[in-house]
Amino acid sequence: MLPFPKFDYAAPTTLREAVSLLCTPGARILAGGTDLLPSLKHRLFEPSLLVSIRRLTELREWEMLPDGGLALGAGLTLQQLSGLPALALYPGLQEACRTVATPTLQGTATIGGNILLESRCLYYNQPVGWRDAIGGCLKCDGSVCHVAPKGKGCYAAHSADTVPTLWLLGAQVELVGPLGVRLVPISALYSGDGLRPMLLQPGEILTRLLLPPPGPPTVHRKLRTRAAIDYGLLLVAASRSQSGYRAVVSAVGPAPIEVRGESPEDLAEAAFRAVQPLGTHAPAPTWRKKVLRVEVRRAAESLKEG
Amino acid sequence: MSSESILSLRVNGQPFRRLVPAERSLLDFLREDLGLTGSKHGCDVGDCGACTVLVEGQPRLACITLAVEMEGASITTIEGIGGPEGPHPVQKHFDQQVASQCGYCTPGIVLVLVALLRDDPQPSESRIREVLGSNICRCTGYTKILAAARAAVGAA
Ligand SMILES: Cc1cc2nc3c(=O)[nH]c(=O)nc-3n(C[C@H](O)[C@H](O)[C@H](O)COP(=O)(O)OP(=O)(O)OC[C@H]3O[C@@H](n4cnc5c(N)ncnc54)[C@H](O)[C@@H]3O)c2cc1C
Ligand code: SF4
Ligand code: FES
Ligand code: FES
Repeated sequence: MLPFPKFDYAAPTTLREAVSLLCTPGARILAGGTDLLPSLKHRLFEPSLLVSIRRLTELREWEMLPDGGLALGAGLTLQQLSGLPALALYPGLQEACRTVATPTLQGTATIGGNILLESRCLYYNQPVGWRDAIGGCLKCDGSVCHVAPKGKGCYAAHSADTVPTLWLLGAQVELVGPLGVRLVPISALYSGDGLRPMLLQPGEILTRLLLPPPGPPTVHRKLRTRAAIDYGLLLVAASRSQSGYRAVVSAVGPAPIEVRGESPEDLAEAAFRAVQPLGTHAPAPTWRKKVLRVEVRRAAESLKEG
Repeated sequence: MSSESILSLRVNGQPFRRLVPAERSLLDFLREDLGLTGSKHGCDVGDCGACTVLVEGQPRLACITLAVEMEGASITTIEGIGGPEGPHPVQKHFDQQVASQCGYCTPGIVLVLVALLRDDPQPSESRIREVLGSNICRCTGYTKILAAARAAVGAA
């Protein structure tokens, strides 16, 4: 049995109250808890206060925008989202929701929590005893990075399935904080620093995800060990327009990486040149790099046929 | 903001009111506070599905759910599905197909199938497999679990 550390809990009913509670030092939002709560059991962080979004009903609403886009509450579960008829016009996103974890977890996990999923690493997402045995690492309780001992930072991998597709779609997030409301494109949300992967200000809550009107279709590909449960070893989203092909690759560093190309082969070569997978996952980085070329090409080719 | 709260909820149709610390998992609340030990501690971190219960009819992992989050909720555990005297059709088919060995995964798998067959009485083979992807069994190799699930289609 793995106990939780001690913390306080609050379930505010208004956004204003939630923001003010979230300004308490050491406070953290609790959405579905499917990322946060296992991390607490592993003592990856020990928040003083969990601020639940359970009673913030506006976070579970969605609406069609006047321009034909969609506004989706951050507290909608991945199951609710993939079941929305309007999501059929965003096939890559629908597919990405359905590849997260397992159907049971998709019924609890929220889209907001997915966008803000902590970065992951073979040496970090482990029980306390495991991490103690290697003296921890830069990201938690240690002073070296086992992935890149000569490097200066942390390279823990961005691993959220929905994000590569959201990036290609040009989605934005609405953040409400003590200083007001701001809109940030998904492509500008990630810092590239594994220690602090999300560019959120203290006290900010992700309230809505804004999708532009449906455009050229996107596809989502996920390479994983088992067809269920597992996080991706590589995540690839691709789309095609008059100006050529685009792909966003993730699970290869703290932020996703975008590449462009004229043809599927060209796109695959661009990804192969731009992306260097590291030892953040169990399979050899050299193998992941080779398979990356194949995954990107196949993603682009499936658009060509469609 | 508090370190404990009074929790009111229904479990298997029966109302309960208890004082729980913020850091109590729903699984420990059910097992330790209510004595309902049918939901199992497997991995305890959301990987295996042994702790699955139904919250408002939807499968949820009790090991990574805070009990305080269940305020006002209606929960069904395996004890509320059926027992030796009145087994649920899914349980009956598990028995007939010998789909349990150690039985540790069984309550979670039965609950996931009960919810599936309620929402989709004629699920395709691929849907059954997709849904069973939520649960890990270390004993059976899944063949007999799938056989029990197929047999339960139409009977649940
Ligand atoms: C066995 C298992 C397998 C998994 N596999 C995958 C996978 O394949 N792919 C994948 O992408 N994920 C996977 N996950 C992780 C997780 O289930 C999902 O990423 C999920 O979408 C997280 O959402 P949540 O609501 O549970 O987030 P939470 O755990 O509640 O929150 C995640 C983080 O975001 C913050 N947060 C959440 N909502 C907000 C908000 N509205 N405003 C501000 N901050 C917020 C929290 O403070 C926390 O830091 C897996 C988890 C498990 C247990
Ligand atoms: S990349 Fe290095 S510092 Fe970051 S979590 Fe992995 S081992 Fe730790
Ligand atoms: S015990 Fe809850 S998922 Fe394994
Ligand atoms: S019967 Fe033993 S884990 Fe499934």
